Amino acid sequence: MSRRRSVTRRPGVGLALVSPAFLLVAAFVLFPLGFAIFISFTNWPLIGPYHYVGADNYTNIGKDSVFLQSVTFTLIYTAVVTVPIFLVGYGLAVLVRSNRRGATFFRTAFFLPYVVGLATESFMLLLELQPNSGAVNFVLDKLGITDGTTAWLVHTNFAIAAVCVLVVWFASGLTMMLLMAGMQGIPHDVYESAEVDGASWWDREVRIMLPLLRRTIALSLILSVIGSFLAFNQFYILTQGGPGVSTTTVVQWIYQKAFVQLHVGAATALSLVLVVVVGIISAVQFFLLRDTTTETK
Amino acid sequence: MTAAIRPAERNGRALYLTAGITLSILFVLPLLWAILRSFQPATLITQAPQSDDFSKMTTANYSGLIGGSIHILRYVGNSLIVALGTAALTAVVSTLAGYGFGRFRFRGAGLVFALIIVTLMVPFQSVLTPLFMELNTLHLTDSRLGLVLFYTAFNLPFGVFVMRNTFAQIPKELEDSAYVDGSGVMGTLIFVLRPLVLPGVATTVLYAFLFSWTEFLGALTFITKDSLITLPVALLNVETGTYGQVNFGYLVAGAVIAMIPCVVLYVALQRYYVRGLTSGAVKG
Repeated sequence: MSRRRSVTRRPGVGLALVSPAFLLVAAFVLFPLGFAIFISFTNWPLIGPYHYVGADNYTNIGKDSVFLQSVTFTLIYTAVVTVPIFLVGYGLAVLVRSNRRGATFFRTAFFLPYVVGLATESFMLLLELQPNSGAVNFVLDKLGITDGTTAWLVHTNFAIAAVCVLVVWFASGLTMMLLMAGMQGIPHDVYESAEVDGASWWDREVRIMLPLLRRTIALSLILSVIGSFLAFNQFYILTQGGPGVSTTTVVQWIYQKAFVQLHVGAATALSLVLVVVVGIISAVQFFLLRDTTTETK
Repeated sequence: MTAAIRPAERNGRALYLTAGITLSILFVLPLLWAILRSFQPATLITQAPQSDDFSKMTTANYSGLIGGSIHILRYVGNSLIVALGTAALTAVVSTLAGYGFGRFRFRGAGLVFALIIVTLMVPFQSVLTPLFMELNTLHLTDSRLGLVLFYTAFNLPFGVFVMRNTFAQIPKELEDSAYVDGSGVMGTLIFVLRPLVLPGVATTVLYAFLFSWTEFLGALTFITKDSLITLPVALLNVETGTYGQVNFGYLVAGAVIAMIPCVVLYVALQRYYVRGLTSGAVKG
């Protein structure tokens, strides 16, 4: 016994074991974060000399019309996809939460689009959106909805619609997994006693399941909102932010400002706005997570 | 009583299976369809669909990608090196840290753990510019090692969280006896605790591999030298015609190549993937 203490309490050992992880995180996450604050007060070009410009990069944010447009666009996009992702995810979770025969297979099928990743799937969709030949146009033509010549990516609203369908297909599996885990964590007797009392399936779902799932629902919504707010791949690959800048997301504009226009200082100031926004959303998530772990213990 | 609810139960079961099978087809079909399309000749792939299209299947897109001027295997190799490197480094570093946090008491443990975990809130997208300048100064842009370090750092918070929980769940008596038998710190980890923490390691490896295999923005930013780019960026170059005229046959075949490892790994190891999701710490 005393020997174990002497090993697990020897102060240097624990610190030595955790230091590689800490050093990597410090070097490539924490340091860049601090460095970003410094850069945001300069006119840093990508390569070459720089000087301080005070808070200019921040006061100029309001004059960056593309940034403001990209914030509006990203918020609208986030609002539009969040509800269907949640509803589809919830429906799928109800379907697969039991351990009935087939449930594991269904779970795998519904989650597969998330695993493959949006970049790969955007390349696949690009082919199917081609006018006159792509599968999307072919199917819509056969159903009599369109004439099959729609150039999806040339019109802002059509492009957004196509990306939204892609993203709902991609992301609802993640919501499903999280909600399913939450549903499986609800004690059976709560649900069953309601059944004995004669509550209908719908009543049980709305009156018992939903309130008990509050925290899981909040968590899945937050993850989904952050994911949508940081959107880049699907728009960069499918629309390049166009037509014009109408489908340019916040992350894409920061990328362009820094690495195409080479206004690194200004782009970094925009990034820090992103850090604050995502930080606030994640802080809520973190709070919720802490809460669940202490309660289940 | 039981006889009375049986027909309803049978209906419920039929509904469950019908809905499940229909939706499964709906979710998987686009991926299967892409595989089918990748075997279409490039000349037919952007033409109006014909009824006999699928009698003209060919592997020309794949042989063109591999043997032609694109040399896709080079990019597959880059992606593999980066993804395997990230998975290995993340696994080793997370395991050590999980061991330290889960099994040892030391001053500052809480603070160091909090500093690592709090970075779950920092999306890598938001530190792209300072990271670029830092990596550039360290000669780690246009470098697969640079990409590995970047991916590892952003996978560590999750990995450390999972591994700390994994170590914390092991009964203390187990290593007590190992220490009494004279095993050292690393000996106990390797010979006594290893089999018990392997599920946690599998979760960490799977997440790190899938993250780095599918990651696009960082790969696009930190690597510009063509011979070092990863597969998703190479596909972007196919899309934009960097390698000559845009060839949709190549594009969809390349996307299928990118998809295969994800599907195989996930289907084989999904139990570990789901463990990671339900452990509560998911990357935002």
